[in-house]
Amino acid sequence: MSGQGKSIWDTLENIPREVLYGILIVVFVVPMVYPLGLPIKISASVREWHQAIDALPSGSVVMIDFGYSGGGEPELGPMAVAVYHHLFKKGGIKLITMSTSIEGPQLWDLAMAEIRPERYGAQYGVDYIHIGYIAGGETAMAAVGKDLRATTSTDYKGTSLDQYTIMDGIAGADSFDLLICYTTGGDQSEGWVRQWYTVYGTRYLCSVLAMMVPTMLPYKNAGQIVALTSGAQAGEMESLVRVPARGIKSADVITLTHLLCLAYVAIGNIAYLGKRFSGGGK
Amino acid sequence: MSTTLKKTIPVAIVFVVAMLVMLDYFLVTPPVDVAGKSWTSGVVKDLQNWGIVLTAFALGFGAVNLFYFHSKHISRRTPGQWMFSIWLLIVIVIFTAIGVFTGPTSDQYNWLYNASYFALSATVYSSLGFYMTSGLYRALRIKNVESGIFLVVGLVVLARNAPALSVYFPVLGTWGSFITDVLTTSAQRGIMIGGALGAISLGIRTMTGRETGFLGKMTEEEKGGGGTA
Repeated sequence: MSGQGKSIWDTLENIPREVLYGILIVVFVVPMVYPLGLPIKISASVREWHQAIDALPSGSVVMIDFGYSGGGEPELGPMAVAVYHHLFKKGGIKLITMSTSIEGPQLWDLAMAEIRPERYGAQYGVDYIHIGYIAGGETAMAAVGKDLRATTSTDYKGTSLDQYTIMDGIAGADSFDLLICYTTGGDQSEGWVRQWYTVYGTRYLCSVLAMMVPTMLPYKNAGQIVALTSGAQAGEMESLVRVPARGIKSADVITLTHLLCLAYVAIGNIAYLGKRFSGGGK
Repeated sequence: MSTTLKKTIPVAIVFVVAMLVMLDYFLVTPPVDVAGKSWTSGVVKDLQNWGIVLTAFALGFGAVNLFYFHSKHISRRTPGQWMFSIWLLIVIVIFTAIGVFTGPTSDQYNWLYNASYFALSATVYSSLGFYMTSGLYRALRIKNVESGIFLVVGLVVLARNAPALSVYFPVLGTWGSFITDVLTTSAQRGIMIGGALGAISLGIRTMTGRETGFLGKMTEEEKGGGGTA
């Protein structure tokens, strides 16, 4: 091609990354500022999750692992918030939260500020509690499952668990009717299967980053996980729970950015094939 | 240091601890107490709690090590590094001081976390989206049959994961489910089983002293000291 102007195929095949990024930013920002309200299909996995919570009898005890990091919050945070709304709305369920991620307590505070449990009449220490970050990953899960009170004696603020009525009668995994895990770590999502489902048969709902779903699918398809969702499906959960928030907005963004990706792939291939058939390619 | 102290005793401890944990995980070993728990249950409970304490200690030790490592960079004025090391140490000191004096769940600590690490962490992770978009455009091209298959499968999953597209084209759900539930799960199971077999093998080698990496630096003679290498 030297000495000649660039062909249209060359131009299309080598769009500068600044242009690609610029268009992506526009496609990302516009629906965040002006939500389009594109339709959302509720997937089977989200329905299974929703039904598992709906089926909980009054007085059930749920263990929640707030195990994601700050990087995963924009994806998993909206899902965690939507599920908390569902649990609080249902009422009569004890929610005991722990964190296998060191950032968990801070992110849980953020989520609670967004949920405002008091609007459902829920009280800290009576209806819900956070027992803090417990180091050790899978060892922590096993220890909490065996004897929660021997593993930690205080909540995340350092107050004795004996002072909270929600902890009455809570011993270990046998005391829980359901386990929910939000995590950005494969060790956590798989660890709960090994340390709680396998040993105690605890029903398990798992929400992970979208890119982690393939890793967790074998557990779901083997029946070890009742429902598996990605944080990107938060919009679906918000629709079911009827508390529209960040997840619905994200759904518009996900649709448009995915469409843009499809367009980029199409342009790249048209250019590649056009160049090849016009004799410019190898 | 003798081989007994350096290798035999640590390996013996690992063997006993691993056997106890495995016995407790897989079996209810008699004698069983009134609650139906085997004799290993209490021992393993203590071992697990030791593990948690040790992990928490290791986190603190890691911070001390980080301090030591970056202090050396600063004292040596390592080009292109020492300024970042100063910044890192300042941040560690600020987080530690506020965490110790006001508590790790205080409003001050939460503000510091939300305004700095949380925002940066989410930003760095989100920036992957740009690289992935650019990567898709440049790499996903039909150059041969294999890349053609890769492209088609990738596009179906991509389109299926776009919420609105699944509404307008329900067939994407069927195709996507086949790809994820049948193809991906099958391949992932193979990977997981392979990984698990490797982990079992590594566990047995560690318990029997054939794997000595966890014992630190050892001479060839020390590695074979137990007569098992």
